[in-house]
Amino acid sequence: MTLRQTPFHQRTAALSEGHAWRRWAGYVVASAYELSHDREYHAIRSSAALFDVSPLYKYMITGRDAARLLDRIVTRDVGKAKVGQVLYTPWCDPEGKVIDDGTISVLADGRYRMTAADPNLRWLHLNAAGLDVKVEEVSEQTAALSLQGPNARAILQNATQQDLASLKYFHLTDAKIRGTPVTISRTGYTGDLGYEIWLDAAQALPVWDALIETGTPHGITPAGMLALDVARIEAGLLLIEVDYFSSKHALIEAQKSSPFELGLGWTVALGKDAFNGKPALVEEKARGPAWQFTGIAVDWDSLERLYAAVGLPPRLPTQAWRTSVPISSGGRQVGYATSGGWSPLLKQYIALAHLEGTFGTPGTAVEMEITVEHHRKRAAARVTKLPFFNPDRKRA
Amino acid sequence: MSAARWGGDAIVIGADVNGLVAAHYLARAGRRVLVLEAGQKADTRPDSGWVPPQLVRELGLTGVRIEQPDPWISAPLDGGERLDLSRDVAKSALAIRRLSNADAAKWPEFCTRMRRLASVLEALYVQPAPDVETREIGELLRMASLGLRVRRLGKQTVIDLLRILPMSIAELLDDWFENDTLKGILGAAGVWHLRQGPRAGGTAFNFLHHHVGSAAGVFRPPRSNISQILTALPGVELRRGVTATVAATSGRATGVRVGGEELSTPLVVSSLDPWTTFEPLQAQLDAEFVRAVRNIKSRSIVVRGTATPARPADYTALCVAPSLDHLERAHDDAKYGRTSARPYVEAVAADGRLDLHVQYAAATDANLVEKVAAVLGLPAGQVRLEAPGGHLYHGELTLDQILFMRPVPGWSRYRTPIAGLYLCGPGTHPGGGIAGAAGRNAARVILKETS
Amino acid sequence: MASPRTYDAIIIGGGHNGLVTAAYLARAGKKVVVLEKRPRVGGAAVTEEVFPGFKFTMFSYVVSLLRPEIIRDLDLPRHGLHVLPLESTVTPMENGDYLAAWGDHDETRRELYRHSPRDAEAYDEYGRLMHFMAQAVKPILAMVPPDPTSFDPRDLFALLRLGKHFRGLGAERLHALFKLMTMSSADFLDEWFETDVLKATKSASGIIGTFLGPRSPGTAYVLLHHYMGELDGVFRAWGFAKGGTGAVSESIASAARGFGAEIRCDAPVARVLVKGGRATGVALENGDEISAKVVVSGLDPRRTFLGLVEEKDLPGEFVADIKRFKFRGSSGKVNLALDALPSFTCMPGIGRQHRGAFSISPSLEYVERAYDDAKYGEFSRRPYMDIVFPSMIDPGMAPPGKHVMSIFVQYAPYNLNGGWTDAKREAFGDAVVNTVEGFAPGFKSHILHRQVITPLDIERITGLSEGNIFQGELALHQLFFMRPAAGWAKFRTPVRAYYQCGAGTHPGGGIMGASGRLAALAILGDGA
Repeated sequence: MTLRQTPFHQRTAALSEGHAWRRWAGYVVASAYELSHDREYHAIRSSAALFDVSPLYKYMITGRDAARLLDRIVTRDVGKAKVGQVLYTPWCDPEGKVIDDGTISVLADGRYRMTAADPNLRWLHLNAAGLDVKVEEVSEQTAALSLQGPNARAILQNATQQDLASLKYFHLTDAKIRGTPVTISRTGYTGDLGYEIWLDAAQALPVWDALIETGTPHGITPAGMLALDVARIEAGLLLIEVDYFSSKHALIEAQKSSPFELGLGWTVALGKDAFNGKPALVEEKARGPAWQFTGIAVDWDSLERLYAAVGLPPRLPTQAWRTSVPISSGGRQVGYATSGGWSPLLKQYIALAHLEGTFGTPGTAVEMEITVEHHRKRAAARVTKLPFFNPDRKRA
Repeated sequence: MSAARWGGDAIVIGADVNGLVAAHYLARAGRRVLVLEAGQKADTRPDSGWVPPQLVRELGLTGVRIEQPDPWISAPLDGGERLDLSRDVAKSALAIRRLSNADAAKWPEFCTRMRRLASVLEALYVQPAPDVETREIGELLRMASLGLRVRRLGKQTVIDLLRILPMSIAELLDDWFENDTLKGILGAAGVWHLRQGPRAGGTAFNFLHHHVGSAAGVFRPPRSNISQILTALPGVELRRGVTATVAATSGRATGVRVGGEELSTPLVVSSLDPWTTFEPLQAQLDAEFVRAVRNIKSRSIVVRGTATPARPADYTALCVAPSLDHLERAHDDAKYGRTSARPYVEAVAADGRLDLHVQYAAATDANLVEKVAAVLGLPAGQVRLEAPGGHLYHGELTLDQILFMRPVPGWSRYRTPIAGLYLCGPGTHPGGGIAGAAGRNAARVILKETS
Repeated sequence: MASPRTYDAIIIGGGHNGLVTAAYLARAGKKVVVLEKRPRVGGAAVTEEVFPGFKFTMFSYVVSLLRPEIIRDLDLPRHGLHVLPLESTVTPMENGDYLAAWGDHDETRRELYRHSPRDAEAYDEYGRLMHFMAQAVKPILAMVPPDPTSFDPRDLFALLRLGKHFRGLGAERLHALFKLMTMSSADFLDEWFETDVLKATKSASGIIGTFLGPRSPGTAYVLLHHYMGELDGVFRAWGFAKGGTGAVSESIASAARGFGAEIRCDAPVARVLVKGGRATGVALENGDEISAKVVVSGLDPRRTFLGLVEEKDLPGEFVADIKRFKFRGSSGKVNLALDALPSFTCMPGIGRQHRGAFSISPSLEYVERAYDDAKYGEFSRRPYMDIVFPSMIDPGMAPPGKHVMSIFVQYAPYNLNGGWTDAKREAFGDAVVNTVEGFAPGFKSHILHRQVITPLDIERITGLSEGNIFQGELALHQLFFMRPAAGWAKFRTPVRAYYQCGAGTHPGGGIMGASGRLAALAILGDGA
């Protein structure tokens, strides 16, 4: 048996030069199309990159109590959201620990699309007990593309009649691309100007072709997960199973995180009626979270010195890494970084990290472990506010 | 919706024995209590099961009659004869001797050993279930003292307890006896109100559960008029014909809903079964809690009824379960969702009528009435069976649904995730077949927690 | 023979537990002799060339539970042990469809999703829970059970520690553990899944070696018992030993010999010599007497106490307990030599599915009905079966191009109505073969040879009482400090210097070796 192929596979497979693939939720997706992901990364920040994000889990939630169900599950106030709005939100178990994060699109009154990184059908069903609501998984039927970068609007505007200039950040609109009905949301996982396009899987290829055609003059570049990983670290965006563990997968308590500990305190609407984890989150808010999720910027001079000591110039990770790296202060470990890498745009070695209590305050001097020629060293680093990169065009 | 205020302190939903016991305990502590009962008429049937003496004493009840027929059971034998088992252990042994010398010889010791185990259960039943997760010193001491108490009954009792509780009644009886009629009589008590056969693990516990409150050598629960006494006892207001559900907002009970009206009160005590109690509150409960409540096994397989024979029966109580295999085969049908081709039938004579217990039945139909009548040797016209309702015990007494697992794990102490709402029915520890113990335990917890 | 007249220890029975005990004792420098009545060691874990060129693991068939510490302590790979993974389980359904579990998580998930999207999700959560439960129970497998009836401070302390361990699990897992200990596998699985065939296949592992059906309380625990193999970092440790399970026994025997133990085959023991309440040695059936400081029996409790020693040497209550100990062998084995692999209707052709197991458990009702037959003393007309093709995993098991097929069958009650006869054995074999034929038409024409083994055959050949492969049912009241009898679960016996080390002691069952190891540690702890 082979892995499942996305609705765009015919196109993406033809583009793959290095045959670098990876698994995502049981699907096969490109790590990079070209032999190196450099150009794909730069397209995100300088022109436009096209990602196949079809493997995301997608659920359609409809019915009189649809908002009630979602409000019971997620931390943000879904009842308050207007039609056409998209909410990014985590959701918690009854102890206030994060199960997953994703987006909720308000498609119409009583009609929502939820995306998730993990399967959540069972959790939705369990919580729907006693409510007048229908939960359907539409992961397979729905194809999804993400077009990210400064030229994204121009490309998409050429492909559709719908006026995109008025489409605000984290809002969506119905549109047609080459006659195919799609939903366009101004969302993404790069922290840049960008859109995600949701459509019937059966119409996937013509829409891909239309975007490539209209996008080519604007430098559209199909891009893989390696490029995306660098961009999402620059944008300070979390990745499940890398930066945090779903409380459903965690083997011990210490592996679980609350939204406050993940820098998602802004998503927790404690003012709304009872939702999963609310009592625990109320308490935690009063107490203050035990951990902070922040950026770490490694001091270049320190890095250079460590390498110079063994007679080498600094060696930089060519890809974003996803391992746990100790962060210390005054010789004591005060946290750990979970993803990191070299930002080609910022010319900085950056990482996302969990730090104990007050060590998470921006500007705090810490040290990050680096292996220099087989020896563990500590490079000076500074706690940095997230995101590392936040261009005005993202919201403009 | 108008919120009519109830001026009192607490509302109890359900005027069954546990609801009434809880209500009276609260009333005696000075609370003003209203009891709401859906049924129009009081249930005049005798209560089955042990009445903890503490309850009679503490509520100052008078006129309580606790009865056990003597012989407590008879079973038909081939050739028109009968095996009569009496309260007198020696007399029973003599009767058994006609069937098996070996069994007769073992009978007295069996009775003593079982009685000793039942006394352990009695001690467990008049207090909330031990909290196995506790780290509180008081609760740990209570558990330790229970443990010591059991140990003082002797090493053999400890071994029996550990060995027998998880066993099947068939294995237990096969260890002791050889006669099928005797094993059928005893085995029947092991499957009472369970959708399981006598070969299922845990049925030995169910057997002991139904031995609680009886003298050594009597393996059917006593019957009493405790509900009638409690109904007549002044001190609480009782309204019949009122179907009430719990009302709550933001995880706190606000009162009860009756029709479109809400009677507000800070304390609601429900003797209804857990699912009926929680169903209207699902949206306010943790999904996992709702799942646990939904998962309570309460598969009703007993049909009760009455027979009105033209001539009074010439027995006090009759058990038609001629062997363990008979019970097992009756259960096989139930396993696949059918009514037993040859059900187990028991009849207790009372005031000229026979109170019937029929197991395993998926539905009450004419066919079943005829079968039961045939078993009892009566014309079908003299047998009336009730439609099967919910599970009488609000949850089967299987090993995974007793003590701290009852009604659901983590919520065995009458409290619920809805503040101000307590359970007190047979769905809670110690379960059905014990008259009023759950109500008493619940009231004591409530009084401690809501002083 | 240059063997000493007096040994430190005599091990009666060269089954895998006896061999493990011997190896550990020898490793500690003791002079040890193993006495095996058959011409080869292994007991129920033997590989034999039943038909020329075709080798069979006669009674047991897969290895999952062999404790990794034993593999490490005895350096078994050096002695030839190699466990090859069994990668999949395919359950043919009556409607021609199938349910498959593959080695790859994504693939299994996709397969389950086809049957029920909700079950596909529940499966992961269920797996995690069982992983935890197995972890929670693991320390218990590795401990000598305390005696709850004793007032010995050491026992009380051990009980307290046990209590603490359980409380440390947290409420949710503690509750799940209680449920597992008490529920039927069908009820337990009902709380998780909706797909019947999934529940049937999962629950089947809860009935193996028991005389219970999927709806019988207590089977959920056996479910867990079989999950245990997936611990210790060896996920998917269900496997097949190269050379059959006999190779497991041979490797342990080789390790034992390496430590200086002596192993004598064709040496049946008649009785244990007891003087003044103390075991002093054994008498062989040929009349020879061998003396030793301690005597260890690897036989099941019935033969250990009611066969090898006299009742008068034992307390009356203890004898009663042992007499009550339930064996009730319920499984049989059909071994086939094939000229070609069978093609199953649900997944036609020959392929990777043959490298895994086929579970004939198409629905819960199917398995339950198989049990109904046995309950009343008949073998299942349509039995539950676990089928593997050892020659697909280890080609050495059959001549090139030919195959061996191992069918574990349940239920075949030891106490068959009217007793087992040659005709009944063949009728049982026919029921098995015909049921398989229903799922793989044409399969019968590929059968070259057939060997049918009933519980009575198992008893006759290996000596295991009532043919129970676990030396006693894995029922709740026969586990932990009740195995084999309350107060005597610490490998000692009422006869001084007489020990027990078979699967009839804690933790029992499966090719696990834990009983043998714990027994050796207890014996060494007593300063033998």
